[in-house]
Amino acid sequence: LAGPPSPAGQDPHGWRVDCVRANELCAAEPSCSSRYRTLRQCLAGRDRNTMLANKECQVALEVLQESPLYDCRCKRGMKKELQCLQIYWSIHLGLTEGEEFYEASPYEPVTSRLSDIFRLASIFSGMDPATNSKSNHCLDAAKACNLNDNCKRLRSGYISTCSKEISASEHCSRRKCHKALRQFFDRVPSEYTYRLLFCSCKDQACAERRRQTIVPSCSYEDKEKPNCLDLRNTCRTDHLCRSRLADFHTNCQATFQSLTSCPGDNYQACLGSYAGLIGFDMTPNYIDASTTSITISPWCSCKGSGNMEEECEKFLRDFTENPCLRKTLPHPLSSPCPIPTGVHPPHKYLLPPGNAIQAFGNGTDVNLSP
Amino acid sequence: AAFGLYFPRKEYSENVYIDQPAGTPLLRIHALRDSHGEVAHFHLCQNLIISRARSHENHWFQIREKTGLLYLSKSLDREDFSMLSVGNWMPLSKVMLYVFLSSHPFQENECDSATRTTVFLSLINATAPACSSLTARQLCFTEMDLSFHIKENKPPGTFHQLQLPSIHHLCQNLSISYKLLAAEGMPFRYNENTTGVSVTQRLDREERERYELIAKCTVREGFREMQVEVPFLVNVLDEDDSPPFLPNGTDTADAVVEFNRKEGTVLATLTVYDADTTPIYPLESSRKKYTGTIITDDPWISETFRVEHIFDEIHFSPNGSQVRGTQHEYKLVLNKSISVTEHRFFQLDVLVNDTEFHGPKRSVMLHFNVSILPVSIQFPNMTYQFTVNRNAERFAQIGKICIENCMKFRGVNITYKLLAPNISCYPVSILQGREDKYGSLYVNDSSVLRRPECKEIQYTIQATDKQSRKHTKTLLTIVLEGTLLKKEEDCPDSCAVSKHHAECEECGGLGVLTGRCQWRQGSGKGITTNYSTCTPSIKTCPDGICDVIESRDLAVCPQDCTSGNIIGGHGKGAGNLGIKSGHGICYCFPRQNCYCEKDDIKEQLCDDVCKTVI
Repeated sequence: LAGPPSPAGQDPHGWRVDCVRANELCAAEPSCSSRYRTLRQCLAGRDRNTMLANKECQVALEVLQESPLYDCRCKRGMKKELQCLQIYWSIHLGLTEGEEFYEASPYEPVTSRLSDIFRLASIFSGMDPATNSKSNHCLDAAKACNLNDNCKRLRSGYISTCSKEISASEHCSRRKCHKALRQFFDRVPSEYTYRLLFCSCKDQACAERRRQTIVPSCSYEDKEKPNCLDLRNTCRTDHLCRSRLADFHTNCQATFQSLTSCPGDNYQACLGSYAGLIGFDMTPNYIDASTTSITISPWCSCKGSGNMEEECEKFLRDFTENPCLRKTLPHPLSSPCPIPTGVHPPHKYLLPPGNAIQAFGNGTDVNLSP
Repeated sequence: AAFGLYFPRKEYSENVYIDQPAGTPLLRIHALRDSHGEVAHFHLCQNLIISRARSHENHWFQIREKTGLLYLSKSLDREDFSMLSVGNWMPLSKVMLYVFLSSHPFQENECDSATRTTVFLSLINATAPACSSLTARQLCFTEMDLSFHIKENKPPGTFHQLQLPSIHHLCQNLSISYKLLAAEGMPFRYNENTTGVSVTQRLDREERERYELIAKCTVREGFREMQVEVPFLVNVLDEDDSPPFLPNGTDTADAVVEFNRKEGTVLATLTVYDADTTPIYPLESSRKKYTGTIITDDPWISETFRVEHIFDEIHFSPNGSQVRGTQHEYKLVLNKSISVTEHRFFQLDVLVNDTEFHGPKRSVMLHFNVSILPVSIQFPNMTYQFTVNRNAERFAQIGKICIENCMKFRGVNITYKLLAPNISCYPVSILQGREDKYGSLYVNDSSVLRRPECKEIQYTIQATDKQSRKHTKTLLTIVLEGTLLKKEEDCPDSCAVSKHHAECEECGGLGVLTGRCQWRQGSGKGITTNYSTCTPSIKTCPDGICDVIESRDLAVCPQDCTSGNIIGGHGKGAGNLGIKSGHGICYCFPRQNCYCEKDDIKEQLCDDVCKTVI
């Protein structure tokens, strides 16, 4: 039997090439480039049924399955990221016509483990009076950022942009604020940004500071709360937002098939995808300054969902009640509810239930690889 | 009737293991009917979707057209597994299949029917587990929630089978039985022989839209017995089966146009309820389904008014349980600004139509009693008289000129003008901001104030309505008073430059009323809007607004108008103009920097409350 399709699109290390490079490879090959042009025209109509019915479009799709374009991916913060994503979606868009609840991430998987960040975080904690019970981790994170020129510059950049009043009626420029936030999270190393975003808190002043990290009055809150499915549609019309949301779903989607309920027990990937959503329409944040229960949500509700209420709530729950993101898994021994089990033996529930934000905040090393 | 078969759930899932024999049943799919007599036919599209972009021809899975049983038609070996895993990024390989539904037998290659459901098959890289190694939860239910949707007003039917065909096939020596708990009095029935769950009657969403039951499973193996319970949820889907109605029967509202005549003004609102839900997205299509039209032959009415429709979800409690409904609001809005001379009374009718409802009474008529009153452009009965100190400087603000009710006006543009006085003394002028409804009188030429022959000056003020050209006049008297003070030397031309109380009150500057600047003593701690500063007049500066006179010369009130740097603790004003709040004393060098600083450096350090502010 034939093995996997020809690895034309893979580099020597086994990874696919990025879509910008794949596009160049395709352009150098007349048959590929003409098929690619055809497919793009097919998808421009955006009607999946017409596209499937068209013989020429189908042939183009089949030919491109063998080209490097088909498996290409993009990297977060790469040069020409937007161009890369445009190429990715120009092929993938329309194949399922936005009917899919979860879309696959166009980004390469994050392979590094969270333990790397904890190692870096511990360097900082050496400077803090960490043993002091009154210590405010979020304040420490802000201090650490201020001691690093790059972090300080980009942080004060987004804070001043996001708190700059435009006029009496316009509280701030949301567009510019989002852009400055994206720059901060793209260009500052995650050992600084995650510490600010996911610091653990014992009191309300600390939790309020954590909630204020992204200047929510400008970047997050709005006059009205849109419907979550409407917000998702808006996000999906933008290549970057769509990609970041798909990345979040890929890396933070709770699963029963891992110890921590995060896909592949990869906290780092989930935290990264979460931070990657900040500065887009789907910007998530802590909904309040509670220290005991961490609830995260984008600025939307399921009011007015009509017959789609179930789907809307499912979408929202991936933020508000996501066991991978936060501690919601009930304890197995005392739980009145049944614990859904996956393919792993049930003893996994005797381990502390995991979640990315709290694990990070606690400074726990969660290298759970077998 | 239109083809109305549908799936009671959007997604199904099951595990597939290596080398499971051909013929292994995987899962059972059900369909519900729209009308009696419809027969469901199930069909698979012949390709597997591996990842978003990659697909592969399906050689392994088939579905029984009549029963909806999905089964393995060919076992998957290791090579099949590795082939299907290519392109999968998730740690667990998943393939996706679409199952289509039709009321007639499927033709060859027909796989674009609108009604489809998705099956996710998790490819487990191991042979099928021994039954003894599976937990009760795994033996009884799949990982997916037991959550279904059933359309209201449709015939009853079976929509789920609790028994898992794959487990039943694999673990034949185990006894697995099910029960449906909390089902008493609910329109659902569990059939023990088939383990099928059916809905027994037509459902009405407006009565109840959610049923929460519990599925209980008992596994017996010899003397051992294990039990698992999971929630079993049924959501009832809505269709447009309720007509619009009026809360408390109110169908009439008064709409009065008087001082506010601006385009976009909401004059009155009437509310219509509907027990059906209305999705807020896509917004436009929902608006089109529920229309509000002005019924009129008068082109003036249709040009001048429009109806705006907004709707919101509300809750009804018909019999204890809460269901969602819709509140529609119809707002009568001015489509253009109305002239001050317009004078009319009439009734304006709006027809509200629930276009998707097919019963009687699908529309209601709303009535607006519209009164358009004319407004007069006139000054209050008195004439204006202002006293101006002879020591006042240029840009000193003397007072405001305003016609009757001018501050209530919206959509009426009044301009104020000073007509030339009888003698050659012209010390004052009038200015009006772009949005201002009043005119501001100020000293334009301070040298005139000092001339002894100018004592009492009479002006005529004229106010004109831009749209109707209607105008009105009144008299203004300016009385000059006070004796001339000797000018201090070395004083800056701007009060704002002074940093100390004493030097402030010794000098004059642009905009002062009596020849001397005024000191504002702040009392607040930290960064406050009540900061200490030196100003030409405490009444107008700083007040957080860079008004039309202050903006004529930056030296008048930089505290309200500066767009330059502010050094020290401060907060900027609206539109990045001025110092809204400052720390200690704020002083400015016009057209250069402003500084806010504490005189005495005995501030306590930033405490915990201070730290929480970014």
